[in-house]
Amino acid sequence: MSSTETPAPPAAAVSVLRAEHVTKMFGGLVAVNDVSFDIPQHSIVSLIGPNGAGKTTLFNMLTGLYRPTQGRILLGERDITRARPDVITSYGVARTFQNIRLFGAMTAVENVMIGHHTQMRAGLFGSILRPPWVRREEVQTRERARELLAYVGLREPAFDRLASQLPYGDQRRVEIARALASQPTLLLLDEPTAGMNPNESQALTEFMRAMRDDLKLTILLIEHDMKVVMGVSERVTVLDYGKKIAEGEPAEVRADPGVIEAYLGKQAS
Amino acid sequence: MTKLRARLRGWRAAVEKRLPPWSSRAMAVALIAIGIVLPFLFSSSSAFMNATIIAVTYAVMSLGLNVVVGFAGLLDLGYVAFYALGAYSLGWLGSGFFFKAQVHALVSPVASTLPGVHLNFILILIAAALICAGAGVVIGLPTLRLRGDYIAVVTLAFGEIIAEVAVNGQSIHVGGGMTLTAGNLGISAVDSPYFPGIGSFNLLNLRPWYWLIFAVLLFVLFVNLRLRDSRLGRAWIALREDEVAAVSMGIPLVKTKLLAYAIGAAFGGMAGAFFGTYYTVVNAGQFQFGFSIFILAMVIIGGIGSIWGAVVGGLVLGYINNYIIPNVLNNLPAKFGFHFQLTAVEFGIFGFLLVIMMVLRPQGLIPERRRRLELTAGIAAEDAQLVETQGPAGGPT
Amino acid sequence: METTTISPTPSPPAVAARSLAAVRRYAGRWGLIAALAALPIYYGITDLTNGYQAGFVAGHAVIHHDLSKLGFNFATGLSNGAIWALIAIGYTLVYGIIELINFAHGDVFMIGSFTSVGLWAVLGLGLTTGALGLIGGLIVTLIIAMLVTGSLNVLIERVAYRPLRSAPKLAALITAVGFSFILQNVGLLWRGGSPQSVPDLIRAQQPVFTIAGVPILRGYILAFAVMIPLVFALTWFINRTRAGRAMRATAQDPEAARLMGINVNATISLTFLLGGMLAGAAGLVYALYETNIWYFQGFKAGLIAFTAAVMGGIGNVRGAVLGGLIIGVIQALADSRLGPQWTEAVVFGYLIAIMVLRPRGLLGEETREAG
Repeated sequence: MSSTETPAPPAAAVSVLRAEHVTKMFGGLVAVNDVSFDIPQHSIVSLIGPNGAGKTTLFNMLTGLYRPTQGRILLGERDITRARPDVITSYGVARTFQNIRLFGAMTAVENVMIGHHTQMRAGLFGSILRPPWVRREEVQTRERARELLAYVGLREPAFDRLASQLPYGDQRRVEIARALASQPTLLLLDEPTAGMNPNESQALTEFMRAMRDDLKLTILLIEHDMKVVMGVSERVTVLDYGKKIAEGEPAEVRADPGVIEAYLGKQAS
Repeated sequence: MTKLRARLRGWRAAVEKRLPPWSSRAMAVALIAIGIVLPFLFSSSSAFMNATIIAVTYAVMSLGLNVVVGFAGLLDLGYVAFYALGAYSLGWLGSGFFFKAQVHALVSPVASTLPGVHLNFILILIAAALICAGAGVVIGLPTLRLRGDYIAVVTLAFGEIIAEVAVNGQSIHVGGGMTLTAGNLGISAVDSPYFPGIGSFNLLNLRPWYWLIFAVLLFVLFVNLRLRDSRLGRAWIALREDEVAAVSMGIPLVKTKLLAYAIGAAFGGMAGAFFGTYYTVVNAGQFQFGFSIFILAMVIIGGIGSIWGAVVGGLVLGYINNYIIPNVLNNLPAKFGFHFQLTAVEFGIFGFLLVIMMVLRPQGLIPERRRRLELTAGIAAEDAQLVETQGPAGGPT
Repeated sequence: METTTISPTPSPPAVAARSLAAVRRYAGRWGLIAALAALPIYYGITDLTNGYQAGFVAGHAVIHHDLSKLGFNFATGLSNGAIWALIAIGYTLVYGIIELINFAHGDVFMIGSFTSVGLWAVLGLGLTTGALGLIGGLIVTLIIAMLVTGSLNVLIERVAYRPLRSAPKLAALITAVGFSFILQNVGLLWRGGSPQSVPDLIRAQQPVFTIAGVPILRGYILAFAVMIPLVFALTWFINRTRAGRAMRATAQDPEAARLMGINVNATISLTFLLGGMLAGAAGLVYALYETNIWYFQGFKAGLIAFTAAVMGGIGNVRGAVLGGLIIGVIQALADSRLGPQWTEAVVFGYLIAIMVLRPRGLLGEETREAG
């Protein structure tokens, strides 16, 4: 399968998420400067830019870890600008991290079960008394976790191993499974192919499309690997020094002189 | 040495594989049976029974602190506050201290005629748990956004404040000529537990006291085991491991942390109430910072995050503190020509134990189940290497 | 879809947001200052309006309407504060370099007091010693006590903290607490469980002169005579020597410092040495000033000094000094106006308030956000 094939644009124009004039300042440093964009439903959008351009900062604002200094973020009709991270997750936004952040003291299955936290109902007394519905919920959560781990391609023996003991590639899989466990509508992937060889990246690219189609997801990813970006995205947004400098279809963005300059520096071109 | 350890672990794994699935349940039943029968092996007023009762109460407190420090990873250095509040719950609700009141509920015929607030001990246990749960929330609130070492200091500060209020409480008037506490003099003449059909407890027969606190221990143990393997328990551990990731996975930070503080405090309060009635007096001198460290030592030495570790830590340190040092080894220094008794260096001994534990075996006597997996897996990897270098002749299974 | 290239323009909304954040920063700092100033201002006003009892003459209470009592509170407070400042510097230096609260530090201070008093006996310093002999003897005591406590601090680091440097912070914290207990027990065995009075070698309560009705006692002068030179020497050392530069570098970024060829272990030991020495000096001053020592004094002093370090801004030496002086004044005011049985609660109340409202203290820097 050629990775230069341009994927079909999404049918619907409904926005899953819209960012309006979002700015983030740390003291005097402007990390994200007046960025506006939106993510169409069921699309795969890539966010690219040189290191330090503000991509992860933007992610952190979309998931509620940082509060924007200025601007608004809308998830569908909801204003989530000031919402807490766990609330945003319950609204259907899930993410993975640039430096894998699994819970090392838990097994792969338990990590994914944590992802399911917002979908479960057992509270303090439910946990203590364990009435039949709680028992059912636990069993179902565990089964669902195992299904998800199988879906992301983890081998069975690894399911009950401690997350810290798994090889890097498996850890990435578990992290994705954990994110999927919260049954998101929007999945944010922060450099998912970091540390992967070309074969693995290709597999992940296909997997992203599969996820989008199987699970009706919308995907926003931060990526440095241009083959992946060009191969999987329907739209590419480019940041540099915190500002959006280009946005459009992958082929157009790649040819944009401003983007080339940002990546290669002023001495190129 | 590593080979020996590897071999031992191999044998242990082999044995565990051969045990039937009901073995752990059978062991639990056996332990409970032993616990119930234990008092009959000793005279009903022996020093050993006294130490056992205190040790079991410590085990309850240790389980409580283990929820906060072990499960949720919040270093609470002010746990003595909950001991105090639990004990004062008993002092307020089970004695003649508030002499203007005339409240009685399911108490002994004698106590029903006395002024003050006299509630049945079980009601006081519930009240102590609720009061301490509330206090736990109040103490926990300021710490929610702080890093680990700062949490330690804030909780310590709260512990000291409550201890100081306990001392000064004899000058705090709450109306009707009554004061908040009786300071260092203490609230004495507190009720002994009374159950209709059994009568009032008295200190000549320690067995009922033991069975009462043993029942409390079983209850607290049950709640702990259920919580550990539940949605809430997993949420605590996730928060402990990586707060940012946990929150991003949908775990509500404030609610989950406050629940840890509240539950941990409630257990401490229940134990505190028991101590209040067992020691027959509630005075401010009982509530010192050293006690917080003492309970922390139990959790650490037992195995941080491990339920059985907390129990073992509580029992071991309880026995050492209340039996072995004062009754068995107290004259040890004299044998070496020193002019002090062992009780005088109790503090130092516990400090030393803490240091040794952290440097040599930080996971404690009984490591948390998950950490043990980590250790076994790590050693399994060592084993694999050993087998490779040795060749087919050596190596454990 | 069209590609859009957006040219960079300065955005007015971003500027407005910048000033809002600045306002919030100033409100935090001034809010804290206001909270601190509340006590003295309140009592100053009540002293002037209602007056205070300054004594009893011929059966009648003597009421004054001036600020001398407040001034007296300040003088006592600042002198006590000088002692806390010396201890607080030790906390702040260690936290700045390895991000650990050295729980045993207060007890090192206590050992400093005990060692000093022990040395007085060895050197034969007593109430009848002449002025010259006394000063000489005290200087010798100061040097030896500082060396003892400095070495003790280095030893604790070597034995308890260094092996745990890669372990979770909890482990090192617990070890610190364990060591605190061990040291307290040493003090307990050394001099018993009750406070011990020691010879009033310099007649600490004797007034030397008076400023605006406030007697300036010998003890006050002693406290500042020791603190000010030591703080200057330390600041000079940190800012002007190579070793001091190494300390600052390691505090900022240990890995980078290591790559630059700095011996990080030695630098950390040096930090503990300096902090311990200052605690020893504080111990001697305390013994001379309070004429009383107690195995438990380190625990109490430690908490107060730590509050001071946090209030000033942890990791910041000037902050530790400022915090120490401020806490000293708060303590003196609470002792004098509310009664000593509430002082601890007041000081810890302030600690909790700082932690909640402005954890970085008065002079501290912005802490990084999560993620």
